[in-house]
Amino acid sequence: MKSILTCQGITKSYGSGDIIENVLKQVDLEFFEGQASVLIGPSGSGKTTLLSILGCLLAPSEGQLLIADQSVNFFDKSSLTEVRRQKLGFIFQHAQLLPFLTIEENLAIVGRNAGMNDADIKQRLDNLLQRLELQAMRYKHPNQLSGGQRQRVAIARALLHRPSIVLADEPTAALDWLTGKTVVELLLEQARLEKAVLVVVTHDTRMLPLFDRILSIADGLLSEQQQTAIADNTFYTQT
Amino acid sequence: MIPFLINTMASVVIAVSTKMLSHNRMRFVMTVTGIAIAFFLAAAQIGLLVGWINTNSAIINNAGVDIWVMAKETRTLDYGTAIPRHRIQQVSSVKGVAWAEGMLVGWINWQHPEGKHITVEVIGLDNANAGGPWRMAEGNIASIRLPETVIVDELSKQALGTLHVGDEAEMEGRRVIIGGFSQGVRTFTAAPFVFTSIENALDYVPYYHYDEISYVLVRAVPNANILDIRDRIAQEVSDVEVLTTDEFAERSVKYWMLETGVGITVIITAALGLLVGAVIMSQTLFAITQDHIANYATLLALGFHQKTLRQIVLTQSLSLGGLGIIVGLVLFFLACNASARSPIPLETTPMVTMGLVAFSLLCCIASSWFSIRAIFKLDPVSVFHG
Repeated sequence: MKSILTCQGITKSYGSGDIIENVLKQVDLEFFEGQASVLIGPSGSGKTTLLSILGCLLAPSEGQLLIADQSVNFFDKSSLTEVRRQKLGFIFQHAQLLPFLTIEENLAIVGRNAGMNDADIKQRLDNLLQRLELQAMRYKHPNQLSGGQRQRVAIARALLHRPSIVLADEPTAALDWLTGKTVVELLLEQARLEKAVLVVVTHDTRMLPLFDRILSIADGLLSEQQQTAIADNTFYTQT
Repeated sequence: MIPFLINTMASVVIAVSTKMLSHNRMRFVMTVTGIAIAFFLAAAQIGLLVGWINTNSAIINNAGVDIWVMAKETRTLDYGTAIPRHRIQQVSSVKGVAWAEGMLVGWINWQHPEGKHITVEVIGLDNANAGGPWRMAEGNIASIRLPETVIVDELSKQALGTLHVGDEAEMEGRRVIIGGFSQGVRTFTAAPFVFTSIENALDYVPYYHYDEISYVLVRAVPNANILDIRDRIAQEVSDVEVLTTDEFAERSVKYWMLETGVGITVIITAALGLLVGAVIMSQTLFAITQDHIANYATLLALGFHQKTLRQIVLTQSLSLGGLGIIVGLVLFFLACNASARSPIPLETTPMVTMGLVAFSLLCCIASSWFSIRAIFKLDPVSVFHG
């Protein structure tokens, strides 16, 4: 399988002198095309920090991040924006759609920002709205949608410009179990269809069987779990 | 078809900025109203200043002459002092002078029919009535040639207690008859103008001799160099100061604006009006950006360039500011119109109006700079914390 995203010795520390807190410690990871990973861990374990680094939103203190074998230059804000614009798709906890734009406009501006042409934007928009059963919502505003519908729109927005990596931060936290499960299933299905690397942060261990890989993080140390651990519910303790 | 507003990146900027603003209609209306009021406040103060300046040089500017000859060190039209009347003939004989005539300015008491005394500024006019009222509301300017007959402005009717042509009153204990009412001759000294002939004025103003006047007003021959004639008069006529109309108007304005407490107060009030207006405008626009800071963070995280966000903020500032300024301008022009016949008019000139608009737009741009700074400091990671 083709390697898309690689972390090499990623460390993230806050503070200075004697008061240094290592949030991430020497994280080595590799993500492959079409692979869906879930990142779990207790609050404050560094999940969001790792996701922020993977999303080129936060610079690591040490180590390097490679996207398609290209090292990311965290000192150049403009190139970070360019990476996010072209290669990354985000899904946030509360969808964070722009409330003043219609669903169609929320999606279209992302395509335009990524440099897609009119025909391509239209084709992707129609396709994604159909796949995610959002055609009827096309001209509505986010406040006219339910939480689950909003997250489906967020999935469409994250995928519209065909990013190679999709990062989701607790996309089901604001949803009930059934709606959340449906959203995650849709997300997995669409990401696999697009052959995108998918990394999802969640607290909900019931979702874990749906993913290819389970990554657990505790005290800044990352470890990979086996699906068999689900039954024992020992995700936060295994190393 | 994709949404028409999203056709190009520039249209994304316009779509996002305008829809962000118009999404909350009440907030949008309140913001535009706030900016309009702020602009109106600033414009009204400047309008008062302009009205004031126009008022205190109106008689000079409307006299229709090119040169004013006066006693040395005369600081303003209102404080003219006596010069010999034969200066008129001396000035008339200077090369380049088409004609010259006199004018007398004096301060005396007017007795209101109810008994109170009011100080008035008497303007004595010569044959061509140069320096007299430029518009009549009622009656004829020629009536001042009749004995004891004066013209007052319609704005002073109440103050002087004279409501009709033919009414009688007293000035310095002697009878006067109202021969007509002028229109738009305002005073800012609180002393109403009373126009009459020089001969009549000499009867009332006790401190002028029969052979004295305050000014010689000069009309130059057509196409003459006014400055050359001014210099020639200054050389050939002794013990006088000679100024062009523009110079005298400027001196009068400077005297009232800079050498009296009243003028300084008006200037300070105008400056404060501008400042308060600018601050309200800036705060209002900054608050809009702060309201949407989470949306800006989302756009940053989604890969929108800082440049695009800057353009969005600037577009918002200029469109909100532009709308507010248009509404404020309409209000200001309405107020100018409404106050045109009042003792304290709001006035403006094309230059002043353009300056006000430019200043206000600059305030909008300055306020967007604060908003842009806030966006620069924005950490896109914040989107992960909901």
